[in-house]
Amino acid sequence: MNVPSEHLFFLSAGLFSLGVLGFLVRRNVIVTLMCVELMLNAANLAFLAASRMHSTPEALDVQGPVFSIFVITVAAAEAAVGLALVIALYRLKQSVESDSASEMKG
Amino acid sequence: MNAYLEGLRGLQPEIVMTITALAALVFDLLLKGRESRRVGYLTLAGLAFTAWFLLGQWGDSAPRTVFGMVAIDQFGNFFKLFTVAALAMVVLFVMHDQREREHGVGEYYFLLLGAAIGVFFMVSTNNLLLMVLGFELLSLASYSLAGFHKGDRKSAEAAMKYVIFGGLATGIMLYGMSLLYGLTGTIDLAKMGVEGGGLVTQLAKSPVPVGIAMVLILAGFAYKVSVAPFHFWTPDVYEGAPTPVTTFLAVASKAAGFGVMLRFLGAIFLRPGVADSVAAYGERIGLLLAILAAITMTLGNFAALRQTSLKRMLAYSSIAHAGYVLIGVACMTEQGFGAALYYLAAYYFMNLGAFGFLLYFEGVNGNDSVESLKGMGFKAPLISCVMVAFLVSLTGLPPTVGFYGKYLLFVEGVNQGLYWLVVVAALNSVVSLFYYLRVAKALFLAKPAEREAAPAPVLTGFVTALGVATVALGIYVLPLVAWAQRSLDVLRG
Repeated sequence: MNVPSEHLFFLSAGLFSLGVLGFLVRRNVIVTLMCVELMLNAANLAFLAASRMHSTPEALDVQGPVFSIFVITVAAAEAAVGLALVIALYRLKQSVESDSASEMKG
Repeated sequence: MNAYLEGLRGLQPEIVMTITALAALVFDLLLKGRESRRVGYLTLAGLAFTAWFLLGQWGDSAPRTVFGMVAIDQFGNFFKLFTVAALAMVVLFVMHDQREREHGVGEYYFLLLGAAIGVFFMVSTNNLLLMVLGFELLSLASYSLAGFHKGDRKSAEAAMKYVIFGGLATGIMLYGMSLLYGLTGTIDLAKMGVEGGGLVTQLAKSPVPVGIAMVLILAGFAYKVSVAPFHFWTPDVYEGAPTPVTTFLAVASKAAGFGVMLRFLGAIFLRPGVADSVAAYGERIGLLLAILAAITMTLGNFAALRQTSLKRMLAYSSIAHAGYVLIGVACMTEQGFGAALYYLAAYYFMNLGAFGFLLYFEGVNGNDSVESLKGMGFKAPLISCVMVAFLVSLTGLPPTVGFYGKYLLFVEGVNQGLYWLVVVAALNSVVSLFYYLRVAKALFLAKPAEREAAPAPVLTGFVTALGVATVALGIYVLPLVAWAQRSLDVLRG
């Protein structure tokens, strides 16, 4: 079975759109962070698909896989910081809805 | 082996910064949170060392790349020196913040240094991977800094908004980068636009995917420098974060965002040997940026008009200033980039000074409303007079550094035929006069206040020094202009 690289790009575009849509629609901060993760993973998939496209049977293009490994690390760090801040907010407001975080306006 | 050592020598400033950051963390642990001021002195010493190494690199002029990724050149040097200078000021602010005493502030310095290391790497590389890593290091440290006062509702809210929108921006930017890599087959910016590079073939085929990738990547940068439509986190985060952190975000983080934007655009579109089709495409990107610049400055200035909090007003003013700097970027010429660099240097003096003034009066009044400043000009005359100089400079009136910065931007805008943008910017400067002068009016054109202002000689001294520089460099403009021009060596190859 040989999946064309274009299909992988379409899949990643779909994932990315789902992430953006979820980010805009959902009010729960934790779900919002999950949507960000979805977007990062869409980028990973696109990196790997691009690497596959640029590789030949003799030479693998390693830039894409290396980039995606770093993106996974970055995503983990971002989730750690993000969730820590959500907990800090939850302690103060007893809620993780983004509507509850509306003290500052204007 | 020799090449390896030679490479390490190029990274001396980064190495010193990293050691300082780790030392600050360990030192704070040893002190167990007491006398965290000593950690501040350690940080300042580390910054002085870093600046010394950076000034050493200033002399050797040939741009080079070490370890295949880190570009050592005057452009990166400009932003590194800028960051070190801004960070030193922020550290001094932290040490003299009246309200910071009750919190353990040791980690403050570690996080600030971590953010600065991120800046160092993101502004000095042509490699997308290292750019992202530096960008993220800066972002993650900034998120934590914004939420540093865990018990404060505003601070916690600010940090959460920052991390959520920051995550969105990172996601968008990374997706754009993955597309750009897919289209060009390389993550080295310098190899994309030159004759025979991946971007040339792609543009010949179809410019649409390139456009999508560019817009997505620029969205990530636009978020960092708070350009519309990615500015909406700015006022809330600036208001909620502790004031020294706000200063860091408004000065160092914003300049770094512009640094990475200029590096990105310069490396792809303006480097010598770039194909004609790529250069022509760059001009279309410039037009997009010009439109964003007009929207950003108008939005920032009009929103600032109706603010009652000085801190929030400065947040909107920083959005407006991002719009002004973007004029220089939108020109997509060497002179335009030079004007943008000059304006950023000018912005350093006037904005740091304004935030220093804000910090002082937060300590005196306990809040940051413009109302509470009424008549205080007579109680703290020196810092208030200096503040008037900052306000004049932020408006862009002579004889200050802000005036010459705007003059350079407008001249280059006219040279590039962006008349409409220059007109919009000039009208915006008039609008900004109203809200800046409202602060001056509150300070001096009211009955002297009953309250006394406790003196803070050290803070006042530093703010006054910034004020003197704001006026002096506005009259004697050559050193900064020469520095900005020198720093564009990346565009000359």
